[in-house]
Amino acid sequence: MSDMEIVDRIAMCVERGKVDKNAPYPPDMKGLDGVKELTAQALAGGMDPNIVLTCGLMAGMSVVGKKFSKNEVFVPDLLMAAKAMNAGMEQLKPAFDSGAAKHKGTFIIGTVQGDLHDIGKNLVRMMLEGAGWKVIDLGVDTPPEKFLAELEKNPGAVVGLSALLTTTMVNMDKTVKLIREKVPATIVCVGGAPLTQEFCDKIGADAYAPDPQGIIEYLDEKICNN
Amino acid sequence: MTAMTGQERMRNILARKPVDRIGLYEHFWADTLSRWTREGHLTPGMSLEDHFGFDLQMMWAFNTAARHDMAPEIIEETEETVLTRDGNGAVLRRHKQHDTTPEHVDFLVKDRAGWEEHIKPFLTADRARINFDGYRSARREAAEKNRFFVWAGSGVFELMPPVCGHEHMLVGMATDPDWVKDMVNTYARLTIDLMEILFSEEGLPDGLWFYEDMGFKNRPFMSPAMYREMIQPGHFATMRYAKSKGLPVIVHSCGYVAPLVPGLIEAGMDCLQVIEVKAGMDLLQLYRDFGDRLSFMGGLDVRVLYNNDKSAIDRELTEKIPIVKGNYGYALHSDHSIPDQVSYESYRYFVERGLELGTYS
Repeated sequence: MSDMEIVDRIAMCVERGKVDKNAPYPPDMKGLDGVKELTAQALAGGMDPNIVLTCGLMAGMSVVGKKFSKNEVFVPDLLMAAKAMNAGMEQLKPAFDSGAAKHKGTFIIGTVQGDLHDIGKNLVRMMLEGAGWKVIDLGVDTPPEKFLAELEKNPGAVVGLSALLTTTMVNMDKTVKLIREKVPATIVCVGGAPLTQEFCDKIGADAYAPDPQGIIEYLDEKICNN
Repeated sequence: MTAMTGQERMRNILARKPVDRIGLYEHFWADTLSRWTREGHLTPGMSLEDHFGFDLQMMWAFNTAARHDMAPEIIEETEETVLTRDGNGAVLRRHKQHDTTPEHVDFLVKDRAGWEEHIKPFLTADRARINFDGYRSARREAAEKNRFFVWAGSGVFELMPPVCGHEHMLVGMATDPDWVKDMVNTYARLTIDLMEILFSEEGLPDGLWFYEDMGFKNRPFMSPAMYREMIQPGHFATMRYAKSKGLPVIVHSCGYVAPLVPGLIEAGMDCLQVIEVKAGMDLLQLYRDFGDRLSFMGGLDVRVLYNNDKSAIDRELTEKIPIVKGNYGYALHSDHSIPDQVSYESYRYFVERGLELGTYS
């Protein structure tokens, strides 16, 4: 296979959620190489890890993200794509450690204080990782001070706040205020079922999107294209 | 039309037959009730059905945990949270200070093998799973007050995440659909068997209410095709059982579930509740699409109550109630639960104005 054929195949395996050769899913790809093997082959063949990352893994996740936004695929498909992506990222770990492969940036994510929901946050985390971001997941019920402490350890990181409940989204306001006071230039993204663009504007956050792909496209436009 | 009892009214609403006015029911966050009690509007332990004049009364009568006799074991406790392992082997963190759904920390069951070892063999229709006294007492009270009495409980979809978590369940839908089908069928069978015991001994309710959170923002957890393949067979089984007893079925779902509604109607759903606007659900569109064969409860954006602005509440009610009462199949309810930002006076206004608009001449 040529380099382009390998990365195209990696992208297709990510899109279909084909983790590795032994994975029974998807049934029509049983016994075929998955993302794990193909990524290993690409790197062993001397391919630039950044090409594997961007043209293979990220390209596959991008297709899934766009289809997810249009309700052409659903959460089970997204979860399988993320698993396949992770199998490739494991192969790329030495390249990230050595600096041969680079993330787009660091994204600190967490569910705000008082809120113990994590499904939406986890989906955003998976999609951001799939889009080439290093994600630091602070988990659920995260106090404003914890976001700030992590931000101070990772200067220039983007912060993402999640809330599922109308009763807890008010805690986003406190977190945004603290970040604006201490590290004002930070980009803060917000998301979650009860949120709206109006609420995002009201609390002074930078971006709101109703789905993970919207945040990825915002960051691509705001950071990666500048 | 002369004034109807809650029981008569809800029975007709679920069948879209003429009524004197739209129905009334509501859910509240515990923090809201605490606030209103502190402010003197409510007294501890009082009946919300009596106080607000609700048409409906419900009772959760079943314990469906695998080890139903096991009290949650405390693993760790802080000033704010408590971490427990429950009868399904799930490790959950709950807030002690306020009301929220628990964080899913870990699950004993992550796949079919875990399900078959730790859960399935224990899901027998043991009488000890049934709260006979609670059901009897609630049923009697509802009858005395002429309220529509519903058996309430988790549906086949909602029974799975407490066992294996959403992520394992949803991955299972992709990688091992037969496992998910087995869970659905097992819980459908358990639910029907327990109902058979309870209803034969204590009498039928007026209807069934299944809680099924199948969506989140702007999309359901699964595609309509996955719903039909894996979940709908369980809905067919439980709802056909209901119909065999002459009982109408209310289905609650948070999140955006509009694409699943046709499949739910096929299975036997008579009323969709709660129609969460902030997740993308549109009560008026649902009414246009399905109002001739489906009743509705909810779909009124609770966010308009936050600011305690009567004109905003009025706008929301005026835009929707006169339309959705058209086929007699509507009950007033917020699109989720009333949070503690909402004043008692605002909620009272929501009810009074909603019922005023919802009264038939």
